[in-house]
Amino acid sequence: MKREAFFLPLSFLTVTLLGGVRVADRIVLLPPPLVSLVLGVLLVGVLVRSGALAPERLMNGARTPLANVSGAVVLITTFLAAAQAFTVAIPEYGLPRLLFSVFLFVLLMNTSAAAPDRVRVLRSVLVIFGSAFILKFIVLAALSDPAGGWWKRTLLAMLEGLTLGTLSQDVYRPATGYIAFATLALFIGTLALLPSRQTTALARTS
Amino acid sequence: MRESTWRSLGLALAAAYAAFIVWLYVRQPQTVAEMTGAMTASIGAYQIDDAAFADGVRLFRRDQFDASRLAFERADSAHQDARTQFYIAYSYYRQGWGRVYNDDALFQRGLEAVDRAIVAAPHGRVAVDDPDLQMRSADELKAELQAGIRRDASDLNPLRIFRQRK
Repeated sequence: MKREAFFLPLSFLTVTLLGGVRVADRIVLLPPPLVSLVLGVLLVGVLVRSGALAPERLMNGARTPLANVSGAVVLITTFLAAAQAFTVAIPEYGLPRLLFSVFLFVLLMNTSAAAPDRVRVLRSVLVIFGSAFILKFIVLAALSDPAGGWWKRTLLAMLEGLTLGTLSQDVYRPATGYIAFATLALFIGTLALLPSRQTTALARTS
Repeated sequence: MRESTWRSLGLALAAAYAAFIVWLYVRQPQTVAEMTGAMTASIGAYQIDDAAFADGVRLFRRDQFDASRLAFERADSAHQDARTQFYIAYSYYRQGWGRVYNDDALFQRGLEAVDRAIVAAPHGRVAVDDPDLQMRSADELKAELQAGIRRDASDLNPLRIFRQRK
């Protein structure tokens, strides 16, 4: 009960808060773009289909109205955190943003169609966000960093030419990457603690 | 403790945290000082450092604009005081003003400061009663800064060199 009333909503709200933090010359808080909201809905849908999230355990007729409101808060904060987790994972603009958005959309649709179980879907979420984090905060950040030798600048100029100047992103301070890592880790860790359908079945068996 | 009490506590905490997050995203504070300053200003408890403000005004009147802004920054580190932000904007205006051309970068920073002053002032109205200033409201100052940045045919008027700094 305490997990549902305290830990889950507060943890997801923390993800919502930290998901938009970008540290450059000044600190900017980015609200989720529309694409993140769409992907957030898809992710919550995948979690429900796989049984990683059982909404019927959070809201049902047998619970008190207060418990149902508490359950609704968990569902809403799950969606908000999912949207902000995608805001962390997707580049801010340009061709990479488009590619990431389409790639993640197709990946989530594919995961939903495959109807995996809870454990597999959590592993899949870990891989999705892990690879997106590496691509954005390590690969793209390295390509966008103006510092570097002549070979890097040549490579970057070639890539910029090929992508019509839409490849490079804003350069953030390293703190942004650390905050993003902690945010995604907290998000995935909290997803694993959501009341699942599997747990319901086990509880009924016992 | 009863379950309903725990749940009520959890809901209250989540609602307060969510409201705080929305507030942060709307206000976009840049530093911890700005964040705490904005929070105290929202309940009317924010106060500037009067001594630092007086230093800032004194330096401003001597045309030591960089030094005056340092003092103003010390006085209002949270950027929540309309009068201090007005003086900061005015210092950018006077420093950036030129008989032949204006410094666009300084005027731009002046615009940012005057916008902060307008946001911080009740009903967005900033009026400063200082006989040393020719522009005593944020509206006049903002219009002057915007006109300074704008590019139009009047820039080519040779009589511009006779205009006076306000």
